[in-house]
Amino acid sequence: MSTAEDYIEKHSGSRIERAVGYLKRNSRAYLLLAPTVVFLIAVIGYPIFETFRLSLYEAPADTTVETFVGLQNYAEILNNEFFGQLLTQTGRWVVVGVLGKTLLGLLIALHLNANVKGRKFFRTAFLIPWGIPYAISAVVFRWFEHPQYGYLNTILQELGLIEGSIGVLGDPTIAWLGVVIGDIWIGTPFMAIIILAGLQSIPEELYEAAAIDGAERYQQFRYVTLPQLKSVLFIATLLSTIWTFVSFDVIWTMTGGGPINTTHTLVTWIYQTGIENGNLGIGAAYSVIGFILLFIFAMIYLRFYTRGGQEL
Amino acid sequence: MTMAGHDQSWLRKVRVHGVLLALFAVMMSPFYMMISTTLKTESEIFSVPATLIPEDLTLEAYLTVWEQTDVLLWIGNSFLISIGTVVLTLLLAIPAAYSCARNDFVGKRSFLLAVLVVQMFAPVVLIAGLFDVITSVGLFDSYLAVIIPAAAFTLPFNVWMLYGYFKTIPVALEESARIDGASQLTILWKIVLPLTKPALVASVTYTFLYAWNRLLFVLTFLTSSGKYNVPRGVFSMVGAVSVDWRMMLTVSVIGVIPILIMFAFLERYIVTGMTAGAVKE
Repeated sequence: MSTAEDYIEKHSGSRIERAVGYLKRNSRAYLLLAPTVVFLIAVIGYPIFETFRLSLYEAPADTTVETFVGLQNYAEILNNEFFGQLLTQTGRWVVVGVLGKTLLGLLIALHLNANVKGRKFFRTAFLIPWGIPYAISAVVFRWFEHPQYGYLNTILQELGLIEGSIGVLGDPTIAWLGVVIGDIWIGTPFMAIIILAGLQSIPEELYEAAAIDGAERYQQFRYVTLPQLKSVLFIATLLSTIWTFVSFDVIWTMTGGGPINTTHTLVTWIYQTGIENGNLGIGAAYSVIGFILLFIFAMIYLRFYTRGGQEL
Repeated sequence: MTMAGHDQSWLRKVRVHGVLLALFAVMMSPFYMMISTTLKTESEIFSVPATLIPEDLTLEAYLTVWEQTDVLLWIGNSFLISIGTVVLTLLLAIPAAYSCARNDFVGKRSFLLAVLVVQMFAPVVLIAGLFDVITSVGLFDSYLAVIIPAAAFTLPFNVWMLYGYFKTIPVALEESARIDGASQLTILWKIVLPLTKPALVASVTYTFLYAWNRLLFVLTFLTSSGKYNVPRGVFSMVGAVSVDWRMMLTVSVIGVIPILIMFAFLERYIVTGMTAGAVKE
């Protein structure tokens, strides 16, 4: 055996020994962690790998036969005219949804933060829409917008806005608005509660100082509340963006993506192609596109969490 | 304070309460719609235009639902799935969070950050891969096919929630027990967990609600109607040809009641859980 090989073996041996020694000393810590790590790798990690792999295959869900097709699924998606429309629909769904949730949430939080009677009751009540099954909320909004028997028709008629009746969810141009209203209703409580917690963490002295300086109410809001609320608003909006982007149950229960696919977003389309149409390969390729978008959000979130080298 | 100032603050109070009540009315209106519809007679439900206030009140719809649907079974299944998810996720999250809170080791930081990223990977986006895994291990159409993914997706929240709380419990308490010869698991179970109650309640409520509310996993991985939970049961009534609105809304009202009871008692903990990830000190 040459000296060089001898040296390498000896050296790497000691390195492994050192590693083994380290693991032994910390075995209890690693053993407590191991089940969670194994579980997450099996249930999240492996399906992520599977999704990437499947995106390169033609894989009908009802058989086990898979044919390698390379990047053909991606080519098919990019050449599909519907893909552009799908991205537009996803974009407007997220922008309008998050905007609605944020503004309504801010409005609720600001009024709850004022010294009102029965604040605890109101806070609980405002939370409930977030806590009930999404499918149930979706059903109620479908009923609200029902073309014949819906309350919306009666209300609009009473207000003199319409003569006959309108079927929001059957109309390709406005159906998505009918669905997004339901999603805003569900997502608003989270925003309201987070913003309220943020408002309550603003030191009272700041307002007192501003009052002494003669600041009007709206000036206090502009120069004290908003700057102090910046980081909470940022993280709440980011989380809400992610959740609105991946919102599935509401769309699926209210319209199933129709009429003529106008209420589909990227995630419902993943389900439509992969599970409903049974084409796992194409569904997986759409998923990979979804991953890329989520990955960008995740990186922003991680930066926020680890900003300034904060200790975990 | 001057008289004008008094007037202003009084006016402001009225305005704040007025806006709050209006917001309250808007946010509660879907519940009103749902409940008022189920209290109408069948002919009134399907009258045009819809009556905003029921003319005749009746509990007929609830009787019909009781006799003709599996609503009790669905609620039972919902409990089974929620409790299963809570047990599985806590069995995994408690030791992991405790290990991170009490030890310093290579890979801890990466683990905690990786867990945070997992939270971003929404289940729908993983559905094709998950479907492949669930079917290939033969779990398709079993409760575990719903419980396992739900536990995985609630695990990140629970690990972080408990990790943060464990760190605030003084190590000194555990050290005296260790001197008396107690094992680490005994210490965790007998000394640490009782002190962790607020965080545990927040974890349990969050996980319970998550599993109770989600449709996706049940829709994708369960096919036997005998295993449906509440959201899946409601969804099944959407039907291919026609929708039985009366029954569906009545089941919805019944399905929301367990949640309302939870909210009434555990609101404080739910808020703690919701704000844990977003509001940093």
